[in-house]
Order: sequence, then structure tokens, then C-alpha cells
Amino acid sequence: MTVKTRPVQNKTSETTPEEKSLWQRLDRWWLLFVGVVVLTLWLTQTRPDPYRRILVYLEDGLRVTVGVTVVSFVFIVLVGLIGGLGRISKNPLIKGVASVYVEIVRGIPLLVQLMFIYYASPIVIRGLGESLAKSWPAMSARLIAIKINPFVAAIVGLTICYGAYMSEIFRAGIESIPKGQMEAARSLGMGYLQSMRFVVLPQAIRMILPPVGNEFVALLKDSSLVSVVAVADLTRRGREFMASTFMALETWLMVALVYLLMTLFLSRIVAYIEERTNYSR
Amino acid sequence: MKELADNIIEIEHVSKKFGRVVALDDVSLTVERGEVVVIIGPSGSGKSTLLRCINHLESVDSGRIVVDGIPLTQAKNIDKVRAEVGMVFQLFNLFPHLTALQNITLAQTVVRKTSASEATSLARDLLAKVGIPEKADAYPAQLSGGQQQRVAIARALAMQPRIMLFDEPTSALDPEMIKEVLDVMLDLAREGMTMVVVSHEMGFVKAAAKRIIFMCEGHVIEETTPDGLSLSACKEERTRQFLGKILS
Ligand SMILES: Nc1ncnc2c1ncn2[C@@H]1O[C@H](COP(=O)(O)OP(=O)(O)OP(=O)(O)O)[C@@H](O)[C@H]1O
Ligand SMILES: [Mg+2]
Repeated sequence: MTVKTRPVQNKTSETTPEEKSLWQRLDRWWLLFVGVVVLTLWLTQTRPDPYRRILVYLEDGLRVTVGVTVVSFVFIVLVGLIGGLGRISKNPLIKGVASVYVEIVRGIPLLVQLMFIYYASPIVIRGLGESLAKSWPAMSARLIAIKINPFVAAIVGLTICYGAYMSEIFRAGIESIPKGQMEAARSLGMGYLQSMRFVVLPQAIRMILPPVGNEFVALLKDSSLVSVVAVADLTRRGREFMASTFMALETWLMVALVYLLMTLFLSRIVAYIEERTNYSR
Repeated sequence: MKELADNIIEIEHVSKKFGRVVALDDVSLTVERGEVVVIIGPSGSGKSTLLRCINHLESVDSGRIVVDGIPLTQAKNIDKVRAEVGMVFQLFNLFPHLTALQNITLAQTVVRKTSASEATSLARDLLAKVGIPEKADAYPAQLSGGQQQRVAIARALAMQPRIMLFDEPTSALDPEMIKEVLDVMLDLAREGMTMVVVSHEMGFVKAAAKRIIFMCEGHVIEETTPDGLSLSACKEERTRQFLGKILS
């Protein structure tokens, strides 16, 4: 996986085409964004029943979706940083563990991973607890008593899965910084982690920020999968509403609009970050 | 055995391979305190590798290197040695996200735990010493190659090293900038800094070098003084061929 970089725009040539394309993009985005907002407002104003009712019903789910996404994301960035550093480590054990983690996780669908953590891992933990019954009773009892909370399962599942992809983004970002930077820092007597922290990572961040932003948008959408492990997110609330009212079209239209509003807004921010990191070079 | 105090660098029977490529083959070399040693030799002869072994940017396969009495063996020694040995690279390797001043203060504050004000005042002194006090707040991208290399020298000097290593410091520079960098290096040599320099700049070699080491295919094949730097004085045919090229 490589970090996406756009070709450097030629600043000496006339600036009109560059500005124009920027305006075109602004236009298209505003049109879409305003269109979605207007449609949502129009639906809820002209037909408060069912649309306003649906929206009110979805509110709790929206909060859960945002919460799960944001909390997972914090852990994902941490795992990505550690995983990325692990992938480029000179220590074969650390490198091996990080690589195996990334390869396994990338080969299994997120939905299956979530199912495994929520439904299968309690069995594993229980089995472990039972096998420790004689040798370590205190630990055994504690393990058997563990109940998997849906939220925890969702956040752990999303973190494990997205952490692997994030590791690759961090790895590619760090590797895009010339080796001479690390060598110069080390030759001044700075340690490996000090050199990473003060020299390599600050430069890598510029490369990493746009793809990390894209991951956040993707995570927001993929978080809808946590609805299968009993987390009452936006999608699950939609399903519940449909089940009680049989209004499939109206329900899923509103759910789709709410997701779209969030992702449109976020991808605009990502595009803005991307532009800034390009222009400041 | 007791180390001789005036041998600040001792390289004993060092060998280094990259895969099947032999970069250094049983190289021995000692450098005295305050000496300026210039290493020359054809491309791929192992000059950079030898220099990089001295501050352990490359590890050696066999042999022993002792820098200022510290053997380069255990991991603990390495950062200690590196802080004592300044290195200047062909492509400068300045930190592009930091200003000239910050490039010079970073390692002082991180490694030496110097206070910010102290580090800054030393950095300003060093920028004045290398002749660009007005560039303190410029980013590397805003500096010419010669200016960047002088900042890089100041950055290395900020750690108050006992030894300075230069790996072809002027070969990436336009001709009109070479002199400004060489002048800084000459000043350093006059002040008594121990220097190991890979360079084919004969002006510098004649003005500053005490000894000249010829390397070829991972060996030190000949050693001479600037006065002996003539084609006829060289014993080895390969040295004569190589010198013929760079002297003309
Ligand atoms: N990191 C590396 N990986 C593999 N081979 C290497 C590496 N560094 C150096 N070599 C090889 O080791 C040999 C010596 O290289 P070195 O860079 O020390 O030569 P040099 O004398 O500095 O040459 P130049 O004048 O071109 O800089 C060369 O054959 C080179 O290809
Ligand atoms: Mg070299």
C-alpha cells in the first residue's frame, strides 16, 4: 500500500486551471451537500409523519454510531502507530508479530471478525478459564465470569480490523521519509524513538493525514456492521423502526441521508486537509 | 592493553560485507587527536562505509573500533559515541520541517537536555561562525545548497563533538558554493578539530590534510602526506591511475 500523493502542481504556469478545478470541486460538493440538506429538511417539514418521527427515533442510534466511531478511532490510531513501527522494526520478532497481525486481519472480512469477537471469543475465554481451574483458581473464576459487553466487542473488533489497515498507512508514511533523516538524527546521538518522534513522524504526518482522514470516513460507514453484535447504532435503530412499522422505504431513506450528511461533511474536511498539505510543500 | 591517549580513533582489522559485496576488507587505521585525515579512492571503494562505521551507522562484521577510549561494541556506548562524533552528509540531511535554528537546537535539547535559551544562544553563535547568522529562521528549502551544508555543519558542532566526519560534503554543491563550505571546514581544522574527510577537493586536501588515505576495493592501499601527493611518489599503480584522474 502506498500513500497517495498528487503530482506537484506547476506554480509558475498560469494559475487559472488550478483555481478553476478547485471551484468546480467546491461547486459540486456544495451542490450535493445543500441538496441533501434541503431534501432532508423538506421531507421532515412536509411529512413530519413518518420522517420526523423516524429522525427522532434514530437520534439515539446516531449518538451511538458517532461514539463508537470516535472511541474506536482513537485506539485505531494508537494501534496503527505501534503496528506501523512494528512493521519496520529491525527486531525479527516484533516485525514478525506485526506482519502476521496485519496479514491475518486483512484476510478476514470485518463482519466475520465482529461475529468472532462477540460470539466465539467468550467460548475461548471460558475454555481458558476452565482449563485454569486447578492451577490458578482465582484467575479461572475471573475469566469464566467475563461477559462480553456489545460496545466493548464492537470497539475491540473495529480497532483490531482498522488498526491493521492503519498500520500499513503509518508504515508507508514512515517509509516515505528518506533514510538520511533517521541517520542524521541518530548521528547526533538521538535514540531511535527520539528520532522517530522529533524527526521522522512530524514529517510523515503530512503524508499520513489524508489517508487517515479517509479511514475515518470509511470507519464511520463500516461501524454500521456493529449493529449485528447487538449495538444499538444508527443502522440497528433503523432496523428496529422498520420492524415495528414496516415502512422500509422511508426508514432506509432517512438512515441513508443521515450517513450521507456526515460522510459528505467529513470528506470535505479531508479534501481540505489534503489541499493544505499539498500547497504547503 | 592500555589505550594510547592521543589515538582518538582506532580501527583494527575491520571487515564489512553487504550480502556478497565486500565493502571493507581488514581495514586498520588510527587517527590522532587534532589530526585531519582525508580519505580518497574510486567510487565503491568503501570510503563512506568506513566513515559510517566510525559512528556505527553501519555495524562491522569483524574487527574493533575504539573512539576516544570507548569501544563501539555494546548498544549503550553507541549513543554516547555518536554524540561525540559529528557527521556531515553529502546531501546535508537537514530536517525540512524545522528552521535552521531548530535544526541546530533539537539534539542539544533532546540528548543533552540543554535549556532552550542556552541551546538557542549556542545555535546563534554557530550560525554566525558558519557565516549565515541572518538565516536562523529560514527553512532548509529556503536555503542554497552551500547554506544548507553550513547549517548541517553547525548542527553537528552544536553537540560539541571531539571528532567530525565529512562524507563528500561538497560533491552535491554547485562550484560557486564549494568554497564557502570548505572555508568553514578549514577554520575547523585550524582550531584543532579532529576530522576524517572523504573528499576529492585537492585545494582542501593540500591546505588542511595531515595524512591522505587511499582506498580501493575495501582496502587501504596507500597512505601519504599532501607533500607526497604526486604521481611519481605513489608506489601503487592503482593509486597513480586514480590520482591522475583527480589531479588533472
Ligand atoms: N546499504 C548498502 N547495501 C548494499 N550495498 C552497499 C550498501 N552501502 C554500500 N554498499 C556497497 O558497498 C561498497 C562500498 O560502498 P561505499 O558507499 O562505502 O563506497 P564509496 O567509496 O563511498 O563510494 P562513492 O565514492 O560512490 O560514495 C559498494 O560496492 C556499495 O555498492
Ligand atoms: Mg560514498
